[in-house]
Amino acid sequence: MPAQLRTGAAANCVMLIAIQTEEKACRSPGRLAVRVNIMDQHHHHFEVGGAHLSRLEDLRLIKGEGCYAADWTLPNQAHAAFLRADRAHARIVSINTDAARKAKGVLGVFTGADAVKAGYVKPLSFLTFAGKDGKKANIPERPVLTGDRVRFVGDLVALVVAESALQAQDALELIEIEYEDLPAVVSPRATLKAGAPQLHDNVPGNLAFEQEAGDAAAVEAAFAKAAHVTKLRLDVTRVAPNPMEPRACAVTFDAGSGKFTIHSPVQGINMMRMQLAAYTGVADDKIEVVSRDVGGGFGQRSIAYPEYVALMLAAKSLGRPVKWVSSRSEGFMSDSHGRANYIDGELALDKDGTFLGMRIDWIADLGAYLHPAGPVSPMRNPVTCLNGVYKTQALFGRWRVVLTNTAPVSAYRGAARPEIAFAIERLVDEAAAQMKIDPAEIRRRNFIPTDAFPYKTPTGSVYDIADFHGVLDKAMKLADVAGFAKRRSESEKRGMLRGIGFSTVIENSGAGMFPKDEVRLEVHADGTLTAYSVSHSQGQGHETTFAQIIGDGLGIPAERVKLRQGIGEQGLIGNHTGGSRTIVGAGTVCHIAAKKLVEVATPIAAEQLGVEPSQVTYDKGEFKSAAANKKISLGELAAKKPLTVTGEGKFGSTFPNGCHVAELEIDPQTGVTEVVSYVTVDDCGTVINHTIVEGQMHGAVAQGWGQIFGENVVYDSDTGQLLSGSFMDYTMPKAGWIKDIQIAEHTTFGTISPLGVKGMGESGCTASLAALTNAVMNALRPLGVPPLDMPLTAHKLWQAISAAKKGK
Amino acid sequence: MAKINLTVNGEKRSADVEDRTLLANFLRDELNLTGTHVGCDTSQCGACTVHVDGRAVKSCTMLVAQAEGCEVVTIEGLAKNGKLHPAQAAFTECHALQCGFCTPGMIMTTAALIKNHPAPTDEQIVHGLEGNLCRCTGYLNIVKAVKRAAELQGK
Repeated sequence: MPAQLRTGAAANCVMLIAIQTEEKACRSPGRLAVRVNIMDQHHHHFEVGGAHLSRLEDLRLIKGEGCYAADWTLPNQAHAAFLRADRAHARIVSINTDAARKAKGVLGVFTGADAVKAGYVKPLSFLTFAGKDGKKANIPERPVLTGDRVRFVGDLVALVVAESALQAQDALELIEIEYEDLPAVVSPRATLKAGAPQLHDNVPGNLAFEQEAGDAAAVEAAFAKAAHVTKLRLDVTRVAPNPMEPRACAVTFDAGSGKFTIHSPVQGINMMRMQLAAYTGVADDKIEVVSRDVGGGFGQRSIAYPEYVALMLAAKSLGRPVKWVSSRSEGFMSDSHGRANYIDGELALDKDGTFLGMRIDWIADLGAYLHPAGPVSPMRNPVTCLNGVYKTQALFGRWRVVLTNTAPVSAYRGAARPEIAFAIERLVDEAAAQMKIDPAEIRRRNFIPTDAFPYKTPTGSVYDIADFHGVLDKAMKLADVAGFAKRRSESEKRGMLRGIGFSTVIENSGAGMFPKDEVRLEVHADGTLTAYSVSHSQGQGHETTFAQIIGDGLGIPAERVKLRQGIGEQGLIGNHTGGSRTIVGAGTVCHIAAKKLVEVATPIAAEQLGVEPSQVTYDKGEFKSAAANKKISLGELAAKKPLTVTGEGKFGSTFPNGCHVAELEIDPQTGVTEVVSYVTVDDCGTVINHTIVEGQMHGAVAQGWGQIFGENVVYDSDTGQLLSGSFMDYTMPKAGWIKDIQIAEHTTFGTISPLGVKGMGESGCTASLAALTNAVMNALRPLGVPPLDMPLTAHKLWQAISAAKKGK
Repeated sequence: MAKINLTVNGEKRSADVEDRTLLANFLRDELNLTGTHVGCDTSQCGACTVHVDGRAVKSCTMLVAQAEGCEVVTIEGLAKNGKLHPAQAAFTECHALQCGFCTPGMIMTTAALIKNHPAPTDEQIVHGLEGNLCRCTGYLNIVKAVKRAAELQGK
């Protein structure tokens, strides 16, 4: 490993960076690109191969040869279907499964009593740290099939297993349940009020956890001396992650060894196994998780859902493999939802627009139960980047985890990073407008200066390296902000409202919860390699990116490296893919493993060549001895004896950042918004594959776009019924919504990974929520329209415009 | 039970199926053609798109009995003699897939689209893709891939 790359970047080196030789114009995807030399801040030449390599995983996927969870067929498998609560809150008075048990093809019916008997009642929770006044979280139990009470529409009541999926579904309809309805609460603010319906006995007031962070006194003082204070309600709505592959799971139990095998789409097998073991009390080594192609994740796949655990119960009880494939309707009800963070924010400024302090009050709606990591994201990530990209010194926040009669919430692409960025960037923009300061200028006045890194933030994070001024300048140029006034007056002539919006954001990535990340390399006699990793791709293209890094490290074509993921028996330690961290963790370890392979193989090669190791050099897959005029390839070496190494590494937090600029036109006659330009300039450190990075940006921006302009999970406020339960009622982005995104990079090389990478899978979400909202408000503010809550649908905008015109 | 006869990817198939069997389930469960994906239960997502007598059809919205005597082509049957269909080649060339789950349906829709519109306009592409959902790509590269597929088809 090139140790010199690990040292922190000295401030005066910061700008000696990023010689990205390729221009966007020549980045047409789909060809093998030339190798690109990148010079790091220490003038060390670092070779990154195939910046536009076509993806190695594509061929099987475009031919229909992928293997997703529903595609597993296990010998003698039975099929499962779940009976779910059709109401938000009720006591189960009685449940009669007699008819269902006698139905054709039915092998077994399981209810809450079975779950309690098995002891499958308490999911793992990562919310173990102390909160306000040293108080720990109140974590409710959740039997994998609910016993005496249902708490949200979709809560699991019973499981039927039959010879066929249709027979299982038919039998569900024969189960009789008598409910005693209870009042439901779905609003995260109402649930905290006195007299609100209570969900769990051990969670008084529906408040599971409360924490504070920052310096309350310093913030008091800052607000006391402020020349201006901007206050905003900044609710970030509940959305459905909706990866296109529905959840599915097939479980086998081997009575002889006592081992469960769980076939399911995951973001990482270790994360899943850890949770399943905790839920069931089954030992880690008696649970094997197998995953192949995963049809999108976005955080939704990280969870050991109660369905999976109930299937373990059934498989063990029946002695047959049991398979369940979720319908999309079930998914809308019971997949983890995302965001659902309800924030009040205040920003204090002096007369020049310098930020003196920020205060936030944050309610995280976690739904009816706590998913293992669900409440951790909104408690941790916003604190880590509470100052955003600014040098604001006085910061304080209060966070409350609340329960409602809704589907449990967990991480969704960004996992509370988009929410805190949205809160900060909306406050900054409104403050700028209120104080009549240019929105770019107010940001520049408050940016952490480029020569201040590494920078310790008031909440204790260390931003290692960034150049916010450079990022903003490049974005403004690309977006032609200078020409905006002219474009706006042209729009006005056509009767259209034009707006431009910025966001300059930062997010934490890199660090993971497992003790280290491991990647194993196995060399084969034909000169190809297999790489094993437990950080699972859900579409991010690990098979390509990892192969490129390993290929680069060994000086061989990426095509000679085959990545295998989701193979439990390798016993590797490592994080799941989440928090944009995989390039920093497993990605970097690919590089480390490649270097280690050469180190380990050199003495073996020397022995084969009959020379001293010091006389052996390695280049492009071959060990050579100039003295002996002999050489031996990696493959030849592996043919003689097995050649396997395991690389490892542990990494701290990285801080990808960027600036997005959105420009849009709103038709005041209809409220319809058209985004006419969208620019992203991001600093995610070294880019291994530009095509993949741009694809990630497209997808993440589209998800932010969806949330701002339409996506919204809606429950009826009285009954708690789910009103957005299918693609008919839920606004999924479609082709043509986004016409173009201009993407550029402004790279500072990260100091946490020897590759200089920082992570980037989520940054499009983190930046787009505020950029789009700021652009809409920029268009509407001249009419006197007050700040609006997402989603900014045509209907809402038309109403706001009409009300403003009437002088309301 | 219904006795059905149809041609799938050029091969004659017959089977006894429950009357309510959907074409998608028949392809996946009976013929083990798992490239046809099921992504929703309300006919919105299009992951299950196949060709029935040359038309792009959502196979989750059709009983297999309705395909009696029809020629069905699935993603597995699109490449001919080891050569990728232009839509398949264009999707990988343009990085129009990430997780790949919507991809078979997208490709089947694209293949039909470019057959009907050999030089599709942006409007025709967006209209043509209306029944197919993707969560990963933001559709930008998918729209590019449709254009590229049309180009490749013309060569």
